Amino acid sequence: MAAEAAQPTKAPTLQDLLNMEKMTLSSKTREAQSPTEQWMRYLGFPGGILLFLLIMYLPAGAGLSAGAQAGAASFALALVWWVTEPFPTYVTSLVLMFLLLVTRTSNAKAIMDVLGMEVIWLNLLAFILASMLVKTRLAKRMALWLVVRFGHKASWALLAFLVLQLVLAPLIPATAARCVMTLPLMIVVATIYGSTEATPNNFGKNMMLLNLACISVLSSITMTGSSANLIAVGLIQNMGGQRVYYMDWMRVGAPVAILTMVLMWILGQKLLFRMKPEEQVPQVEGGLELVKKQFEAMGPLGFQEKKAIAIFGLVLFLWMTDIFHMRWFGVEISAPFAALLGAVIVLFPRWGILSWAEADIPWHLLIFSAGAYAGGLALDDTGAAEWGVRMLFGGMNLKGVPFGFTFTVVISVMMYSHLLTTSKTVRTLIMLPIIITLAKALGWSPISLALPAALCIDWVVGLPISGKPNVIMFSTNQFSVGDNFKYGMLTCTIGVAILVISGATWFHWLGITPSFWAVAP
Amino acid sequence: MKMLRLLTFILLGSVLGMATDVQTYTIRLQAESDETGKAVGVLALATCTPGVLVLPLGFAAVEDLRLEEPAVGVRLESVARNGMTQMKLTLPADIPAKTNLKFSFRLKQVFQVTKLKPGEKSTLPASSRSFKHAFVNTQEGVIGNYRVELIFPNGLMAQAIREQLPKPAKNEVGPRVLLTKLEGRQAAILQLSKLQQGDDTSMVVELVPIRRSYGWLIAGLVLAGLYLFCFRDLVTKPKS
Repeated sequence: MAAEAAQPTKAPTLQDLLNMEKMTLSSKTREAQSPTEQWMRYLGFPGGILLFLLIMYLPAGAGLSAGAQAGAASFALALVWWVTEPFPTYVTSLVLMFLLLVTRTSNAKAIMDVLGMEVIWLNLLAFILASMLVKTRLAKRMALWLVVRFGHKASWALLAFLVLQLVLAPLIPATAARCVMTLPLMIVVATIYGSTEATPNNFGKNMMLLNLACISVLSSITMTGSSANLIAVGLIQNMGGQRVYYMDWMRVGAPVAILTMVLMWILGQKLLFRMKPEEQVPQVEGGLELVKKQFEAMGPLGFQEKKAIAIFGLVLFLWMTDIFHMRWFGVEISAPFAALLGAVIVLFPRWGILSWAEADIPWHLLIFSAGAYAGGLALDDTGAAEWGVRMLFGGMNLKGVPFGFTFTVVISVMMYSHLLTTSKTVRTLIMLPIIITLAKALGWSPISLALPAALCIDWVVGLPISGKPNVIMFSTNQFSVGDNFKYGMLTCTIGVAILVISGATWFHWLGITPSFWAVAP
Repeated sequence: MKMLRLLTFILLGSVLGMATDVQTYTIRLQAESDETGKAVGVLALATCTPGVLVLPLGFAAVEDLRLEEPAVGVRLESVARNGMTQMKLTLPADIPAKTNLKFSFRLKQVFQVTKLKPGEKSTLPASSRSFKHAFVNTQEGVIGNYRVELIFPNGLMAQAIREQLPKPAKNEVGPRVLLTKLEGRQAAILQLSKLQQGDDTSMVVELVPIRRSYGWLIAGLVLAGLYLFCFRDLVTKPKS
């Protein structure tokens, strides 16, 4: 044993690094990397239990049912365990599902049905498509091209991904789809910079978390960026009586989202996960030259690669044209069904690309998602989430205070509330009506609070359970829940700061918000 | 001639009676620990026209239904229909256009009693109580605002709102059934506006004892202690 340990570890060759067939989205528990993480794991378990007991035995508020209280307690326990990881995250999800049943927060059917939700199906099918990109080496080719083109410095490689996500965001509304398309590229590029599942480094963390944030945050550039944005626009029109046009949204949403992500591109590298000098250049023997050679050695596109492009192109086409489906086909082919069609072609005997055994489906991740969704739905169904928001706004007397204070409170609550829900749609349906009513009650124009709040809908970046792409990215095992939390919180805080500054200046000049010092009559 | 006038009055009254506008219809039901309940209701009527106004109560075995503050000439009778009780109000000829009527009744059994057949599985724990209320606007006029407040017995709290119908519309803020505090106790309020003829609303609330079992506390503390002991190697340095 000691002899084994004494053996020097051999530097991986480029071939080793790029052997993607060996890269599986495994269920192996990530090792604790620092004494702090070790202590977090050790104390996280009793910490979660204590929080559970505290919420369970607190005197119930009159507006809260016992089921909602138990649901909140169970979800709090799971949150602590997901962040501190005393268990693998999927085990925590299973514990949460059991707790929801025995505390009578949800019934067995409601809990089990979560595994059949659209989002779980989309994840499963998306992994089949991602496996196709890996097997045909298309992902490797695209990643090598990216590195050859932009990979002279790690920060430029990261910026290339930011630009890629910025271009894709208005074209493909489905965040999971964007994630699946680009994930294999991220894995290969991270690998070239020495960050693998076994040896994650800060380049890998920056790569995965920057993409995670970009995929979600850049959805807020347009009102068609997600279906929840459109729901918000509908609520502002129906309840607030004010219409929000495409350009109205873009004029306020785009600068905030883009500026935040550019700042996170810088702060991620300079503040949160500083890269060592050796992590800032390709970590392969022979350096960038070898990567270039490897790219040239791949030769022209093979038949299988072309087939993969065609299949992925078809799925992409269906994802991008969903608003025309009813007119063209008489039926809407939703994102999971477009992916399902792709999966059928991919798995088709003889004409397809993959066999079922070759599809790398991380079931542990789907279980993790299922538990998170079951918990999130329980909070919504029992009314615990809505009660919390009402208590928060009701507990603050915002009558007669300057608009700027109310604006900051509303934006902060909206931004950070994603930590307690797992569905953007549900969060929108809970929060927006309350914010519109609050605006009316305080004497402000509904759009002045509701539109900036709606811009926060897509910023679901705090935890791996907060959004579909987050779960997929978490499967790479290159960052911990704590890393995600840290990066997500900084992103959200910068977002709040930029929104508040914009509210006082840019939005005011556009006529959306009143003066920050104004007090409603 | 007298008979003809009386007939005209009755016919006219019954036709116009349907046009009486119910602005608000509120019932506050206070449930007691022995599962009985006392309810007080208020009807705010506008454009009152003489004749008969029949309104469902939404409860089954109602006792002692009467007007609390008797309005001159208004008669209230209880009518059973399809196992539910309806209020039959006879409004006199000289009734003012706007009238508030306060009435009360008693319920022997507020909560649902489910008798299990041998071998049948129970769907509720023994300590749980289920309250069910369903209301259909059977009369022709619109009910402006319908509201039922159930004040829970001492020592009980809501476990869950099992049903709350209809689903809130897009322009409604808040849930159909709201949990809150009334008269120092937890209460559930069902509220719906603008009920046309045939519109219905309902709630099912499950109630449980306020005091939680200490089982969670004991199990939680034992598990936490066991973990801290058995997994202490996570933070202790291995002996060389």
